[in-house]
Order: sequence, then C-alpha cells, then structure tokens
Amino acid sequence: MRWLGHLLVFSVALLVALPFIWMAYAAFIPPEAVFSGDIFGQLGFSLANFEVLGRGGFWEGFWGRLLFSVLLTGGVTLLQLTTGFLAAYAIKEGFKVLPFFLVLLAIPVELLLVPLYGLLVSLKLLDTLWALVLPFAASPFIVYLLFQGMRTVPEELLEAARLDGAGHRVLLTRILLPLLRPQLIAAGVLAFAAHWNLVLYPRIVAGSKELKTVQTWITDLQRQNPADWGPLSAAALAATLPLIIIYLLYERRIVETFEEGLKG
Amino acid sequence: MLFGPLRGQRGWCMGRNNAHWFALPAVALLGLFLLYPFLDVLRFSTWDWSGLSEPRVIGLENYRNILRDPDFYSSLRITLVFGIMTLIPFVILSILLALALDGQPYERPIKALLFLPGLVTLGGAAVAWYTLFSPEYGALASVLPVPRWDQSPFWALVLIMLFTIWRHIGYGVLVVSARLKAIPKTLLEAAAVDGATSAQAFRFITLPLLRPAITFLVVIGTVLTLQGYTAVFLLTRGGPFGGTEVLGYYLYKTGFEVGRLGYAAALTVIILLLTLAFALAQARLLREEK
Repeated sequence: MRWLGHLLVFSVALLVALPFIWMAYAAFIPPEAVFSGDIFGQLGFSLANFEVLGRGGFWEGFWGRLLFSVLLTGGVTLLQLTTGFLAAYAIKEGFKVLPFFLVLLAIPVELLLVPLYGLLVSLKLLDTLWALVLPFAASPFIVYLLFQGMRTVPEELLEAARLDGAGHRVLLTRILLPLLRPQLIAAGVLAFAAHWNLVLYPRIVAGSKELKTVQTWITDLQRQNPADWGPLSAAALAATLPLIIIYLLYERRIVETFEEGLKG
Repeated sequence: MLFGPLRGQRGWCMGRNNAHWFALPAVALLGLFLLYPFLDVLRFSTWDWSGLSEPRVIGLENYRNILRDPDFYSSLRITLVFGIMTLIPFVILSILLALALDGQPYERPIKALLFLPGLVTLGGAAVAWYTLFSPEYGALASVLPVPRWDQSPFWALVLIMLFTIWRHIGYGVLVVSARLKAIPKTLLEAAAVDGATSAQAFRFITLPLLRPAITFLVVIGTVLTLQGYTAVFLLTRGGPFGGTEVLGYYLYKTGFEVGRLGYAAALTVIILLLTLAFALAQARLLREEK
C-alpha cells in the first residue's frame, strides 16, 4: 500500500510541475526549432525570444507593462495591508465591526463585474488608474487574516505600553507592526497574487494602452499570434518568475497561514 | 495625517474608544466598492442598458427573457456537467493526496509545489497549457496523441477541468490535511488494539471525521464552478461551438461583448440565487447523512 501512496504523490507532483518545466524550456527554444516543428529534437539555447519582447516602445511593450503591473499591484498590496492593519487594530481595541467584514467575505467579487462597471461609470473613473486601485484598496480577507494574527498578541503587553503613555501610533508602529511581520508577509503575498491575477476586470474597466496590465498584454499576444510560442513562453516565464521567487521565499509562512486559517 | 486628529487625546481610555476611527478607511472603501455594487446589481437588472446608452427602466423584463433564453439553459447545463466532472475528481484526489502525504518526509516540499499553481500568473500559466496541450502542433502532441479539444466540446471541458484542478489542488489538499492532523492518533491506535484493519479504521474513523472538510470543499467548489469563467476565457473562449460557455462566461459575453449590461445584471442575480440554493442544499445534505 505504501508504495502506491508514493507513486500517486510523485506522479501528481510531476504533472503539476510539467507546465512550469515546459514554460522554462520553451522560453529558450531557438525560433528555428519552433518553425520546423522539431521541438525536442535539437536541444538549443537561445535568448532570441526575450529580444523579441523588447521590441517596440518600452512603455507599451512587454517590459514596460511588467514594470507597470509590478508597481500597480505592489501599490495596491501596500494599501490593502495598511487599511487591513488599521481595521484589525480597531477590532482588537474593541470596535465591534468584525461581523461586517465576515459578511463581506461571502460576497463573490468575481460576479460583481456589471455593478462595479456601473459604479465606475457614474463616478467617472472608467479608464483611469483609480479603477484598478480603489476597488481593491481594502479586502475583508486581509482584515480577517491580520485580526487573527493580532488575537495572538497578549493584551497585557498592550496594557503595559498604554500605562507607559503609549498612544495609538506607538502601539501600531512599535509593537504590533514588528509582531505581525509574518502575518503581514503572508497576507501581502496572497493580496499581491490575487490582484496580479485579475484577468477580465482590468480588460473591461481600463483597456487603454497605458493602463494595460502584463496579464492583458500576454493574453492579447496569445490571441494575435497563437503559433508564436517562443516569445509567448518567454513572456509567460518573465511574468511568472517574480511570483515564483516571492512564493519560494515565503512559502513556509504562506502555507502555515492558510493552515491556521483553516483551523479557526 | 491619519494619526493627526487622534494625537491630542486625553488619557488612554478615550484612546481606546476612539480606536474605531482606524477601521474607517477599510469600512468606507468596502462599503462603496463591494457592498454597494453587490446591492446595486438589483437596480441594474431592471434596466435596458448598454453601458453607453441612456438606461431605460423595464421592470422584470430581463428576468422574463432569461427564463425563455435557450442559450441560458444550455450554459446552465454545461456548467452543471462541468461542475460534476470537476468536483468529484477534485475532492477524491484531495483526500487521497492528503492521506498519502501525511507524515511523509517530503510532505512540506510537495505541498509547497501543489500550492504554487494557484498563485502564479494566470495568463502565463494559460500560455504554458495552451502551447503544451495544443492538438496537432502542441509540444505533447509530438510525443503522444492529444484529443482534438479545439473541435470536441467534451475534450475542451476536460482541458478546463484539468486546468481548474491543477490550479486548486494544493488548496484542496491543505483543507483535508489540516483536518487529518486534528484527528487524535490515540483513536486509531485504540481501533488497532481492538483488531480493526487499516481499511476498517479508515472507513469507520478517518472518513467520518473528514466529513466537515469534505463538505467545505464541495460547497466552496460548487460556488467557484458556478461563478468561474477565467479558465474558459483564457483557454477556449467558450468554444468549440459554444460547448464550454459556462454561466460565468455567458454573463461576461452578454454584458461586455454583446453589450447588454442590464441583461447581464439580471444574470448575475440569477447566478447568485443558484449559488445560494446549491450551497445550502449541499451543506444540509452532507450534514444529514451522518
């Protein structure tokens, strides 16, 4: 029985890893190999696919879009952490607003395309940077995660600091911020991935060239040249690698945070 | 700035009471951009509106039309088929993997790997899948025959099913695994002392205790299937022959490609009601089976 378990685990692991392995391989395929159809026959290594990505204007090309997306999603992540951290603090300090956030957790954001579009139209925010930022500047999930973290901070610690004359600012920045570092990192990675992986929403509310996210850029390229694998794979790899690296750095924290969340 | 008005407090007692101001940014933003749109969808659903045109109030006309719309029923059928096709293997695989992984030396790294697809760039992952699994010219096709999912709706659904499971299997395993670790080992030891085989112990102890985790996965999985459309958009765009047009994708298409936003809003409401009904029914069914 035991070896059957090993077999299952390793075959599934291989299948899960396969698209990643292929992505890394295909990004460096020499263009000739793709056109001749002989993908695995000649092992070649070429950076030509990445050169193709650099063509055209910088800001509207792939690298510009990648930079834009990193800055945009990074900014949104910081906003979410800030609003979430402050809200979690208010709850910790006795403001009974947790049920409000728990109810919001149940609202399926993916289904709100139509009413959000309507709201952005009436606020005249359609096709502006704000359309990509404001709806994601706070997240009930992040509030919940950070509050879970704050619950583990002993009340006596805060009490002692307060007796020493510490105000909100000191409690927040000197005590809670360092104590909650692990939770903030895990929540930050999850928030980053969630915003980074919006596919249809940015396309609908901010379609203009200078607001295109790297996600949209890749999907557009795939639609225009579905047979041009080399550059497509290079773009996919370059856009995926940052997330893989961040994940590998903090993998332990992220998986643990999820497991803790499931127990609660 | 934010701390400004709070700085001059008299004593920590006021400070504690004033802490509610810190929740203001989150509450205000979520109220405006999450709760309000969620309720507002009802108003939009009574409009005849393309997004650019002046909206015209038409009462329940949209709902009446949806109930007579053959495309709606065909996409509802596709969604249900897809849901069953995906959920059953997803739940079974999550349980088997969690059991096989439990206590193994490679548990951590494998879990980390399984979790990875859920986080990486969706568009990039779709590109890798597309070039890997393209029939005829794809990378796999040069090694083994790949079914023509560009022509057969069934195989297209299989592709989307595999992609969906690939993305979420790490989460499924984590859910089952967390529950598994909460089962006291003494329970299984006692059963072994009483002469139960490992198969019996699984059937009568482990499986019943895993029920909450399974219920959770089934309900969450149903919600995601009823509402998901991203995988369809990235891989098949509803094709071939509309064979993968799940409800979520149909909603996107009528709203933003055809430009009938009022109709799409009514569809949103119907999908929400369906989700609620399904989730409640399943939660009750799975609980009563005890």
